[in-house]
Amino acid sequence: MRDLQRGSAEMILLALLEARPRHGYELSKLIESESGSRLQFHVASLYPMLYRLERKKLVEGQWVEKAGERRRRFYRLTRAGRKALSAHRHTWREFVDALNGLTGFNHA
Amino acid sequence: MPDWKTFVRGRLCELRIPPARESEIVAELAQHCEQLYWDARARGLGEEECLRQAETAFGNWRDLALHIERSLPIPERRGLFTGTLADVRRMLRFLLQNPAFAAMAIATLAFGVGGNTAVFTLADALALRGMPYPEPHRLMAIETHWSRQNEVEPWTSAPDFFDLRSQSHAFSQMAGISPVWNDIWTTPANTERLDTLYVSASFFPMLGVRPTLGRTFSPAEDERSHPAAVAVLSNAFWRSRLAASREVLGRTLVLNGQPATIIGVLPEDFHYRGDPLAGKATEIDVWLPLASNALVNVPRSVRFLKVVGRLRPGISPARAVDELRAAGLSLAEKFPDTNRGFTITALPLSDRITGRFRATATLLLGMAGFVLLMACANTAGLLLTRAALREKDFAVRLALGASTWRLLRQMLAEALVLSLLGGTAGIALAFAAVRLIAATAPASLLPSYAIALDWHIIAFAFLAILLSAILSGLPPAGSILRDGIAQRLRYAARSLTAGHRRFRSALVIVEVAAAVVLLTGAGLLIRSFQHLLSIQPGFDPRGVLTISTQTPPSARTPDERKAIYLRIRDRLLSFPGVESVGAVSRLPLMGSNLGTAVTIEGKTVPGEQGPDVEYRAATPDYFQTMRIPLRRGRLFTERDDASAPPVALINETMARRFWPGENAIGKRIKIGPNPESHPWIVIVGVIGDVHHFGLDVDVHPEVYRPYNTNPLYAPILVVRSASDPESQASALAARLRSADAGLPAYDIFSMQALVERSTAERRLIMSILTGFALAALLLAAIGIYGIVSQSVARRTQEIGIRMALGSSPSEALALVFREGMRLAVAGAALGLIAAAAVTRLLRNLLFGIQPYDAPSFAWALGALALCAAVACYAPARRATRVDPLTALRQEG
Repeated sequence: MRDLQRGSAEMILLALLEARPRHGYELSKLIESESGSRLQFHVASLYPMLYRLERKKLVEGQWVEKAGERRRRFYRLTRAGRKALSAHRHTWREFVDALNGLTGFNHA
Repeated sequence: MPDWKTFVRGRLCELRIPPARESEIVAELAQHCEQLYWDARARGLGEEECLRQAETAFGNWRDLALHIERSLPIPERRGLFTGTLADVRRMLRFLLQNPAFAAMAIATLAFGVGGNTAVFTLADALALRGMPYPEPHRLMAIETHWSRQNEVEPWTSAPDFFDLRSQSHAFSQMAGISPVWNDIWTTPANTERLDTLYVSASFFPMLGVRPTLGRTFSPAEDERSHPAAVAVLSNAFWRSRLAASREVLGRTLVLNGQPATIIGVLPEDFHYRGDPLAGKATEIDVWLPLASNALVNVPRSVRFLKVVGRLRPGISPARAVDELRAAGLSLAEKFPDTNRGFTITALPLSDRITGRFRATATLLLGMAGFVLLMACANTAGLLLTRAALREKDFAVRLALGASTWRLLRQMLAEALVLSLLGGTAGIALAFAAVRLIAATAPASLLPSYAIALDWHIIAFAFLAILLSAILSGLPPAGSILRDGIAQRLRYAARSLTAGHRRFRSALVIVEVAAAVVLLTGAGLLIRSFQHLLSIQPGFDPRGVLTISTQTPPSARTPDERKAIYLRIRDRLLSFPGVESVGAVSRLPLMGSNLGTAVTIEGKTVPGEQGPDVEYRAATPDYFQTMRIPLRRGRLFTERDDASAPPVALINETMARRFWPGENAIGKRIKIGPNPESHPWIVIVGVIGDVHHFGLDVDVHPEVYRPYNTNPLYAPILVVRSASDPESQASALAARLRSADAGLPAYDIFSMQALVERSTAERRLIMSILTGFALAALLLAAIGIYGIVSQSVARRTQEIGIRMALGSSPSEALALVFREGMRLAVAGAALGLIAAAAVTRLLRNLLFGIQPYDAPSFAWALGALALCAAVACYAPARRATRVDPLTALRQEG
């Protein structure tokens, strides 16, 4: 179950980066607002998680300086990251399907 | 608003990752905190709340560090020293953020390393460095000792030297060296006195000297039967007087009215490190062949040569000594009149030249080492405090799997950073100290080459730095190892563990003990020096100026020389303020001597050589000018001349030694090695003892003869003046020169300066040791201060409770003082025991007091007690100001 949980956190981050590169603070705000703080995802583990994803070459961090803004470290999805994201999605779908099959609950 | 990077660094414990990556992460987290803060501000929250939000953004910082470390790539290979650079940067950052800590540690180590480097530089220059000649260990000083009077200088006679040289198998070369000679150099424009040395032809090849210009003496030029009138110039003389002209070869120098052809110029870096003859360590101007000095043709009984030999390859010094001893015995058999009782021996030349400094140098190095150890103890104490504050960090990192070696290495790296910083400051300090000493120390003490910091001094300094890094880094590192991790975690909440405190206390006790030892040593030397200064030299130096001169070669007869002296005297007496003028052949405290043998009527066995005494010729008014007291009989008068019966004055020591319990007046002696050819001389007066060789040297027996019977070639004039003689020096010298064309005037000193110069060596050693003692005292005080203030900080709560329960501030004061003074007393007790053992080593530096001199010990203890009290006072005051309420609110 822990793997699944970690997998879910990973997937959330990857998904958040799917649309465009974002920096850590933005990510933390998104997680907070979009999940309504319901997710078991503390900011404390945000950065270690980002670093782990970086280590696995799923994301790539880069210092970017935008006009009128300070230098920030932006993370963007790599090709491997996109693959991993779709694999995650696939797993989740299977998981949800399996749940559905077991509970007879059709959430769609 | 804080500086956010510092904010993060202060909370996040050190990450075991490459520093570049670490600072990136710190920057990123800092930005996060900052943004949080500003967002909170934008929502209208108060400053404190905003900061709290930033503070708690990541929950537990320690956990965050942990998670970050785990999430990062593991470096492929962790070498033994991976990350050391990061340790160094971290330490530098820490020092920048804690300037007080940095200043204290660096200053402490700078003292230690600097003091050691300075002393090593001096010791190296004076005593340790080898002589600058090829294969110096094969050079031996060959000496003739007289078994009956060991204090007589070990000169060798010229005939003995020639015999030894022709018979020796052990030595490949042997050279005779005259005492420093004074020759008068005349040019059409000027007359100048030169310091010259007469040496054998083998002298320069033996020392491996290659002349810059021309050549040195050939053996043929040093033949006794027909010596050549040739001269070799020192480089300095060539440059300063002959404008470094390359055309000097073949030109002539007129020395004492005789021409000598210049055949060579010595290299610039050649300095003969012979004994500082005549106590002046003069640079020799001109070198002449030994055979050209008339003294080589004197009888065997006249001993005036220093002899140096070079051992043949493969010959041990011991074998050479055996050979010389045997040669000496056979000479004594062959020439019993002159050689019985004399032994010939040899010792390494380096021992002869530097031997007298070696013990002192070792002693000073030892003392300096003590101070370095104390500096290390202090730094170790400081680092221990730092280690204690990071105990929990370390515990967590050990728990996370950091190797013990990694942490040890970090502690050592930190100590090394401190030592390098302190050491570099120390080297600068040493450089300044050495320059100061070189500028103020007496010329006779300094070697003939410049004292400078060179590579082996720097190497020594770095060794000292490394040593201090290890010594100050090991205790904190050891503290990491001592306890298990579990225990460590349990204790970690406390700011300082009991083990740490005990260890620091032990360090402070050792420091105090070392300070007591050094203070006692300094006290002993200072008291010796006071004793020395209280010694009366036997004459009154105040108001007396001395000028040396030489009668011109044109004055051949004693009467002519006497006439010149009288003319000089009258000229000087007519100078305003001059009260009296005298002259003597050798002046007190001006250095070495040539003794003479005396035959004492009724005491000396005929056919045997009599004892050696000091010989002087003096004018009648010499004694009055110097205020040397007459004890018995009468002084010389102008009527004591060659036509009158021969008379002499002796000093009290001579009277006591040769006529104990008798009246020496009227007794008869003969002077000179061949009694048969000399008349009896009647003693007409006994004068007070004069310290001729230094205030700390026992007075030798002395005979004075009237100058009238043997007018001086080179009178040393003494001028007593009512006003300050030093200010009139050049006017008096000019007046002397005006008495006769071509009269030189040199060695112009006030007698007071001569007396002071004679104590300069002791003064230098005393100053250095006192400097170290004061540094030690300061270090001990810092040590006590450090531990007491830490203890006050630790016990703030306890003190607060005591005060809340009715303790008075003075009781708090006493509490703190008790703690500091307990360490001081323990250290002092230990120090006293050590000092009692160590001060015995000082024995031959002491004068007039015993090594167990009570006032010196008392002085050391008093100084220490005072310092300890001052060191306790500041923290104790802080304790009395503890507010019980604040203290109780503090985290326990």
